[in-house]
Amino acid sequence: MSTVIDLSHVAEAAPGRSIGQKPPDDVLLDVRGLKTYFHVLDGTVPAVDGVDFQIKRGETLGLVGESGCGKSVTSLTIMRLIDIPPGEIAAGEIWFDGVDILSLSPSEMRDIRGSEMSMIFQEPMTSLNPVFTVGYQIAEAVKAHRNVSKNSARDRAIEMLAAVGIPSPERRFKQYPHELSGGMRQRVMIAMALSCDPKLIIADEPTTALDVTIQAQILELMKSIQERTGTALLLITHDLAVVAETVERIAVMYAGRIVEAGTAEEVLLDPKHPYTQGLIASIPSTVPRGQRLNVIKGTVPNPFRMPTGCRFEPRCPHAFGPCKDFDPPLRLTGPNRESACWLQYPPGELPVKETDAPPATPVPVERVGH
Amino acid sequence: MTKYIIRRLLQAIPVIFLISIVCFVLMLMAPGGPQAQFNQNRFIKPEQVDLWLQHWCLVRNPSPPDMIKEYAGWLGVWNCQTQSFISENGGLNFLPSFLGGGVNGMLHGDWGISIYLNQPVLDIILGRLPVTLLLMVTAWIIWLTLALILGVVAAIRRYSFFDQAATLFSYTFYSLPTFWLGLMLIEIFAVTLHWFPSQLIQSPRISPGPFASAVWWQAFWTDPGLYGWDVAMHLVLPVTTLVAVSVAGDSRFVRSAMLESLNQDYVRTARAKGLSERRVIFRHAFRNALLPIITNGALEVAFLFSGAIVTETIFSLQGMGYLYIQGLQAHDYFLLMGIVFIGAILVVVFNLVADVLYAVADPRIRYD
Ligand SMILES: Nc1ncnc2c1ncn2[C@@H]1O[C@H](COP(=O)(O)OP(=O)(O)OP(=O)(O)O)[C@@H](O)[C@H]1O
Ligand SMILES: [Mg+2]
Repeated sequence: MSTVIDLSHVAEAAPGRSIGQKPPDDVLLDVRGLKTYFHVLDGTVPAVDGVDFQIKRGETLGLVGESGCGKSVTSLTIMRLIDIPPGEIAAGEIWFDGVDILSLSPSEMRDIRGSEMSMIFQEPMTSLNPVFTVGYQIAEAVKAHRNVSKNSARDRAIEMLAAVGIPSPERRFKQYPHELSGGMRQRVMIAMALSCDPKLIIADEPTTALDVTIQAQILELMKSIQERTGTALLLITHDLAVVAETVERIAVMYAGRIVEAGTAEEVLLDPKHPYTQGLIASIPSTVPRGQRLNVIKGTVPNPFRMPTGCRFEPRCPHAFGPCKDFDPPLRLTGPNRESACWLQYPPGELPVKETDAPPATPVPVERVGH
Repeated sequence: MTKYIIRRLLQAIPVIFLISIVCFVLMLMAPGGPQAQFNQNRFIKPEQVDLWLQHWCLVRNPSPPDMIKEYAGWLGVWNCQTQSFISENGGLNFLPSFLGGGVNGMLHGDWGISIYLNQPVLDIILGRLPVTLLLMVTAWIIWLTLALILGVVAAIRRYSFFDQAATLFSYTFYSLPTFWLGLMLIEIFAVTLHWFPSQLIQSPRISPGPFASAVWWQAFWTDPGLYGWDVAMHLVLPVTTLVAVSVAGDSRFVRSAMLESLNQDYVRTARAKGLSERRVIFRHAFRNALLPIITNGALEVAFLFSGAIVTETIFSLQGMGYLYIQGLQAHDYFLLMGIVFIGAILVVVFNLVADVLYAVADPRIRYD
């Protein structure tokens, strides 16, 4: 039997953010202890289970992690696009531009969506409505947030189409999504997301569905637009190569949690968390030709049976003493550098399992009325 | 698009031809015939019956070649008077009469004479058409409107009390036979409660003549309120019968189309743009759900036609459906063929209408 030990001193080691307190002005997005659960027939899926990260104004953050770790759910929760039910935002705060958006009414949230923060989705083929022209769909976003005439919404849409590098935008304005290639459609989605000059753009695997050459073009476009407009960008991907080229900071996610965060260089060149180390080691180009690819052994934990200690412990090659029983919180390991791993804690701060001198042999339970 | 429509109409010709030949032959193969009306009459000799049949260009117990001949006569390829493909005018019978062809058969616009009513088939049908059209169009509009409202609301409020109630309602009515529902409605609302009339399209007390005939219209314009109200009251139960069963199935259809559409990525995109929920549902989701609904709605006109047959019979409405049952009982081949022909054209035309509307509603579809 383990007793709950006081971890408050450890939690305080995490960046100084106290619940309910407005973050400093230069922080655009501050996600704190966010938990999004899905209540399904089999039980509850803790898709996002205590996510913490920050994005400063104009900053680019890459959120990486393997499939199913909760990246999309995190982004949809930030946009408040989770279907409730089956979803539930069980805990946490999302401070955006000085407001905790989880406390906003649906209509206040609508005013922010698409205007202050907008989103680009993974599937350009299905994310546009097939029965409306692409121009109409961009102009619609403009009209939803700006009190402008139909004509100026149209002009803005054409301007945006030109800005994302679509040739002859006047003609494209009148075309339907099926008349455009996948790359073009993703450009349209980007144009739509940018149309109201948002402060934050969330891109959920914007290039995964595209072929490699188009991927590079789209990433290049997003980078150049981001530099030009100074919008903050949350780029979600499972491709480390993509983040390495595009973002300033990286947050690594595992099983519904952030396990490591830092600048792109720090995280990629000096990964502190064994999961990040495994991820980097498994990039094919880091392995010499002809040699077996590295894989992280084991599988993602079953959401219905999460390990009680560190979620990565069953797969971790460095697991030791506290890992099985205690879940490591994020800890600052440098300026703006965090990691959730007991290896990063000084030995004195490690929690110890208090054992109540367990009996060597189980006490037989007497049965009554046998 | 025009080219496409013309091509489809041309393609429809062989289809209608095939439908008519199959129906005609099946009808002739059915035991009995128009001569059955004389069976109980001891004073009519078999020879007289044969003569009577000959007058209609029919034979007793036709062999396959006889059937072809009779069909060809109905079509206007065969000439019954000359007993050949040559007409009285000396040319091939199927040609227009000014080129020496005959005047008999569908090809010459002659729908034949009803054996049972002894009047031109076309005149009879045209006289009965208004009742059927009124019944069908009224039922169709009400049913589509109801199905849309029920289906969309059930989809938006999925698993709510309303949705569950709509499901229960749907399965109940869906499993009811039309004729039984009609009889129950008569029993409750006509016989017991006296709220609505149980039969006919207008009250005999005030009827100036057959519905929608010239005399009727004359009388109607003298007092539209009186006659309009009278017809409306007579329509309530038949339309309810026709609508209840169909709304049940169709509201489910609309619900699932709407649910599917609400689950699409572009609906999420619309929400992510910050559009109002109303706009997301009606502009983005409903607009797409409409595509299968349009097809379904247009194709159902044919079902409506057959539903009208049962309904008109239950409520003794003097429409084409009721006429069809009468014709069936009398083995009135020419009358039946006339009605079947209209039915076939309805099916073909509304298939085309469905395709055209679909192309109008969905920019991805292009014919030509
Ligand atoms: N609507 C939902 N109902 C139930 N479970 C859900 C729902 N949406 C997501 N989940 C679950 O949440 C978990 C995280 O999903 P999410 O889509 O966020 O993963 P991801 O990190 O984006 O993966 P990928 O790289 O494949 O996109 C998954 O286990 C998924 O099954
Ligand atoms: Mg995802």
